[in-house]
Amino acid sequence: MRLARILGSSGLTFYTLIFFAFIYVPIGLIVIYSFNADPVNMMRWSGFTFDWYKQIFGLKNAASEAALYIESTDQLLAAVRTSLIVAASTTMVATVLGTAAALAVYRFSFFGKRFYRVLLFVPMLMPDIVLGIALLIFFVGVGISLGIGTIIIGQCTFLISYVFIVVSARLAGMDRTLENASADLGADEWTTFRKIILPQVMPGVVGGAMLAFIISMDDLVITYFVSGTSTQTLPIFIFGMLRRGIKPEVNAIAVMMLLFSFTIAAAGLYLHRRKR
Amino acid sequence: MSGLTRRGRARAQLGILLGPVSLFLSIFLAGPLIIMMIYSFLAPGLYGGVEWTFYPHNFGRILGFADPEFEIYDPVYISIFFRSLRIAVTTVLITLLICYPAAFQISRLSDRWKAFALFLITLPFFASLIVRLFIWILILKKTGFINTALESLGWIDHPLEMIYTDGAVILGMVYIFIPFMFLPVYASVEKLDWTLVRASQDLGANGFQTFWRVIFPLTLPGVAGGSIIVFIPALGNFVVPAVLGGAKSLMLGNLIEQQFLAARNWPFGAALSMLVMAIVLILLFIYIHHETRRDDDAPAAG
Repeated sequence: MRLARILGSSGLTFYTLIFFAFIYVPIGLIVIYSFNADPVNMMRWSGFTFDWYKQIFGLKNAASEAALYIESTDQLLAAVRTSLIVAASTTMVATVLGTAAALAVYRFSFFGKRFYRVLLFVPMLMPDIVLGIALLIFFVGVGISLGIGTIIIGQCTFLISYVFIVVSARLAGMDRTLENASADLGADEWTTFRKIILPQVMPGVVGGAMLAFIISMDDLVITYFVSGTSTQTLPIFIFGMLRRGIKPEVNAIAVMMLLFSFTIAAAGLYLHRRKR
Repeated sequence: MSGLTRRGRARAQLGILLGPVSLFLSIFLAGPLIIMMIYSFLAPGLYGGVEWTFYPHNFGRILGFADPEFEIYDPVYISIFFRSLRIAVTTVLITLLICYPAAFQISRLSDRWKAFALFLITLPFFASLIVRLFIWILILKKTGFINTALESLGWIDHPLEMIYTDGAVILGMVYIFIPFMFLPVYASVEKLDWTLVRASQDLGANGFQTFWRVIFPLTLPGVAGGSIIVFIPALGNFVVPAVLGGAKSLMLGNLIEQQFLAARNWPFGAALSMLVMAIVLILLFIYIHHETRRDDDAPAAG
């Protein structure tokens, strides 16, 4: 009995290790092979090189001398720029609107409050392809030309929900007695808001904004449908590359992207834990 | 300001907080969804336009009453629909089978390790989806990691056909949806009352009985929640089949995409996505209905 339990639990431990291996070994592989020198078969190791990284930063190397890959560097940089502009704008809009909605639902009781709570979950649960094509039909029907503006609007429709949920969770855990104390001590509503509510809700707002930024940088489906033909964000650019056939520098781009999102996410999760 | 009553001021504040977001969502969320709904009942025009007449045959092409003037009913669309359903359900089941035991193991770790394990599971959620799928191309393709490794070991002569199959699509979806399944399942495993498990064992239940009649029902809310959260994006997915699936692994999402970007039959595409949305809404409705009933039952039972 005891033996069985020990065996059982070590079996489970082994299982958990496989579980994590399944998640992280592929990521490890792509990091290793992004330094592979073989330009034709990316998965046959033929020596260590930084060429692909030099390539994406526009530095000269053997491959770019051969003029095989030059066109993509400019497109890549343009895609990165577009992604950053979109992410910064959507983060700003979604954070303001989502936080306002969360504050309203927290502080006031009004007709249709339950409806608002449900409504704000809808965009998160809606399959993204449905939302994407609904927006496409809408923009084309109304006559708004597709581009960076429509990408920003499209992403905001669901990012507001993420911010709303993160900020609401923060507000739900807040201490209401402080608010009452502040009012009892003669502070007016604005002072109470600025000195009591705002500092307490701030970590939630920052967390929601970081989440919105990461999701915006990564959004593929909605952006794909509302971006039109001339605007490319980074995920769309990579998606296009994958459909056309893969070149080795995609590896290096992928690793840079992983590094970028892991850094932000790790910082966010760390801050989140420390605040509690 | 001083002229306003307290009530009036509260109303003004509420308006400032809620006004912009209401306006934004009614124009850019409700508006598009309603227009899509209308489109799905319009006739497709030439060159991608629409004709403003009532036309139920967009749904008919899928469900069996195609426009008698132009085409005979072809069951290809309904079969793509069932394929997508099958692939989505398989994905849910595999993800669940992978996450369920892991959730138990991780819930019994010490607090420090638990936090670290949860961190490791959440982290990939933030990494680019397209990058995580791209990795699997490198692993599965003909000259990919697995084939190269097996060939150099001399275990196979011909590369295995792994990529561009249904299996690859399911594998890709399982890989990206693991965090979605794990977190809800873990939340209910963590709350599991182990005294009930011990009681069941003391009363003579064997392992299977304890699992099936005590542990599984208690963790069912997490299982159901995780399954729905995985099923929804899996059903209409078009990225994973586009990247890892072959020409034969068409799913609903790809079909919808084709209608918009290639075939230029927008009403038919709208009808297809109405179908996806309808299934999602029905599932959510059932789930919410059960959850609220469970909440209502809880005080009476406890």
